[in-house]
Amino acid sequence: MNKLKLNYTSLSFLPILVCIPLGYQLINNIHFGGFKLFQEFLISAFNPKIDNEIIITVIKRLNETILIGFFSWLVSIIFGAIFGIFSSNIFYKIFNIPSFIYVIIRFFLTIIRSIHEVVWGIILMQIYGINFSIGIIAICIPYIAVNTKVFAEQLETIDYKSFESINQINAPKFSSLLTLIWNPIINTFKNFGLYRLECSIRSAVILGLFGIGGIGTSIFLSFQTLNFRELWTYLWSLAILIILSGLIFKKIKFNTTNKILSIFFIVVFFLTILFSFSYFLYFIFNNNFENFNSVSSLFKSSLDLGLFDFLKLILETIILSLLSTGIAISLPPLVIGIFNNNSFKIFIKIFAFLLRLIPTPVILLTLLTFNNPSLSLAALTLGLHNAGITSKLLFTNLDIQDKRNYIAMKSLGIPKKTSWLLGLFSQQAKSYLAYCAYRSDIIIRETAIVGVIGSVGLGWQLQESLSSFAWQEVAIVLIAYSSIAIVGELINGKIKNSLT
Amino acid sequence: MNNTVLELENISYKYKNDLILNKINLKINSGEKIALLGKSGSGKTTLISVLNGTIKPTQGEVKLFNKSFEELDRKQKSKITTIWQDLRLIEDLSAEQNVNCGLLAENNFYFAFKNLLNISSFKKAHKYMKLCRLHNFIYDKKIRKLSGGQKQRVAIARSLIQESNILLADEPFNNLDPKLITTIKNLLLENVDKNKTKKSPKTVLVALHRLDLLNDFDKVIGIRDGKIFFNIKRNNLKKIHLEKIY
Ligand SMILES: Nc1ncnc2c1ncn2[C@@H]1O[C@H](COP(=O)(O)OP(=O)(O)OP(=O)(O)O)[C@@H](O)[C@H]1O
Ligand SMILES: [Mg+2]
Repeated sequence: MNKLKLNYTSLSFLPILVCIPLGYQLINNIHFGGFKLFQEFLISAFNPKIDNEIIITVIKRLNETILIGFFSWLVSIIFGAIFGIFSSNIFYKIFNIPSFIYVIIRFFLTIIRSIHEVVWGIILMQIYGINFSIGIIAICIPYIAVNTKVFAEQLETIDYKSFESINQINAPKFSSLLTLIWNPIINTFKNFGLYRLECSIRSAVILGLFGIGGIGTSIFLSFQTLNFRELWTYLWSLAILIILSGLIFKKIKFNTTNKILSIFFIVVFFLTILFSFSYFLYFIFNNNFENFNSVSSLFKSSLDLGLFDFLKLILETIILSLLSTGIAISLPPLVIGIFNNNSFKIFIKIFAFLLRLIPTPVILLTLLTFNNPSLSLAALTLGLHNAGITSKLLFTNLDIQDKRNYIAMKSLGIPKKTSWLLGLFSQQAKSYLAYCAYRSDIIIRETAIVGVIGSVGLGWQLQESLSSFAWQEVAIVLIAYSSIAIVGELINGKIKNSLT
Repeated sequence: MNNTVLELENISYKYKNDLILNKINLKINSGEKIALLGKSGSGKTTLISVLNGTIKPTQGEVKLFNKSFEELDRKQKSKITTIWQDLRLIEDLSAEQNVNCGLLAENNFYFAFKNLLNISSFKKAHKYMKLCRLHNFIYDKKIRKLSGGQKQRVAIARSLIQESNILLADEPFNNLDPKLITTIKNLLLENVDKNKTKKSPKTVLVALHRLDLLNDFDKVIGIRDGKIFFNIKRNNLKKIHLEKIY
């Protein structure tokens, strides 16, 4: 053990080195002005405000959040499945359609996916004004693209031989297609679709922070007025909602042989499509595009943004992503490995839960109470939030893993931490890193949220350009954003392939 | 009776640098019962895939009813049915749903939809499953929960329910006990009676390893290294023929 070997285990820990530059900048930016506020924030967690009035508000706001979350989930899962079919290669094989169309569709979806729902939300709010349905649309745009990708990927797993055998029956093409995709679609919905509901509720909360409404808006307002006890009432009620919905979905078992249930699903399916289309048409014809006067403004407005500034922003965004990813990868195994006993474990789990629960903008605002805004602070925020997510996965996988090696090593007298590392974690490291590669795709997109609030990178520039209606700048920032996200996704794809 | 239904003209199939089928010429006439012999890896499965149009040969032409596959419409192409060596059932569907898949060609999209929702009629499927000695309690079981022999018979039922005039079967007797083999063999070779009025001749080609089952066939084709070594009447089959291919 006297030579550091580069393997999956050490690769999971090495990224923690990002803490050196990060810590340096954070220490330089420390201020003690907000220490009391921070203290109050922490204490309020144990003493949330509970009275009749706030309970009524909570229920009302949660209702709004659930509505936004639920409808955006429903629409995005259904259209995700439909577009997923049209962008899967089984469709092109059955109908003999040239595959370049499929490449074009995929590329288009990648671009849409690369822009975070908050960014879509901010843009749409600027064009249409604040509006309940903007929240749904903003979530639906990237979510449909993400769901499409997942459904299409699941459809790629259809065995080529069963395709050949169904094809040889020479049935009408749509019959063959439906028969082949039926089970993959239903399984994807069961395994992935329900989890997406939680995601869209979280997204609805974050959009709320930017003014869409619902519990997110209440969280933001209570933070702004430094009403921490109220803030924690909202946060805890959100926690209850997320835990409850998780429990309910674990209980629900989909029985596809139940005829009444199947018919119910089909009715919901078609009603959603019908409703979405009519709403879409209504939306297009009934809105005066107040601020977005004409597309020509894209080409007219003068560009304030110099090339140098622009490159700097791109660089900032990339560094922000890298630093956050480093924390999200290495912090969980490090903390779990060092504090490897049962009481600490519970503490870590609660802490990780809080990091997942509290929306990143609120974490950032809290940290701002004792640190000046900087790139490192934004990175720390994003890193911590995502570490909450990666640690949940790590915990789950460690819990279900075969522990015989670990126990055997401990009984040989090898120190507990070393046995944990070599007997337990080392077997997880590869799949953990593969998941982190996937996670970093998301981190790149989320840089937009902390960027807007922490005044770093392209996110901040986007906000600036939008509020001065400089549509040309907005377009450029968006292009830059999606280029970074696409390049990041390509790199991560390579990493993932080498890991699986 | 000598009208040709399937014809291979100078067929070769290359996979990367391996010549898997080598200049095959073959005429299959209506009503013929053909046994296809050859040792493992000789190209039987590949030949069957070429015959049913799943694999496009690198060279040569396949003709069904004197036309190439491109010229035929869907209904005509569906006159061929295949029992695959590796079965190729849909694992997540039930046995009866899989058998019903055989009916997709003669029904519309709505039938496919009802089949997946489990609300279509399974009467015909059950009839064919019974013929294959499959019992009630496996009708609605998922394929992945069936035994090897049960899966084999589901695949056979899916093929028979199509009531096609041309049946290609790739080692259909795998996993079956002696009694079932006799039953299934009779089912495969039996003429179809689709119109209920007249027995239409059924053309059958079966790839098999069991030499004791050859008695019911009219013709025997021997294949080795992707080449046809003999194509003769069963009565003329001699020991030297078999020595050539095994
Ligand atoms: N998908 C494939 N890719 C590459 N080579 C293949 C493929 N399928 C078959 N082959 C090769 O083609 C040759 C013939 O295979 P085929 O499956 O037709 O033999 P077979 O006579 O059916 O054998 P068996 O009696 O074992 O089923 C073999 O050498 C095999 O390795
Ligand atoms: Mg074979």
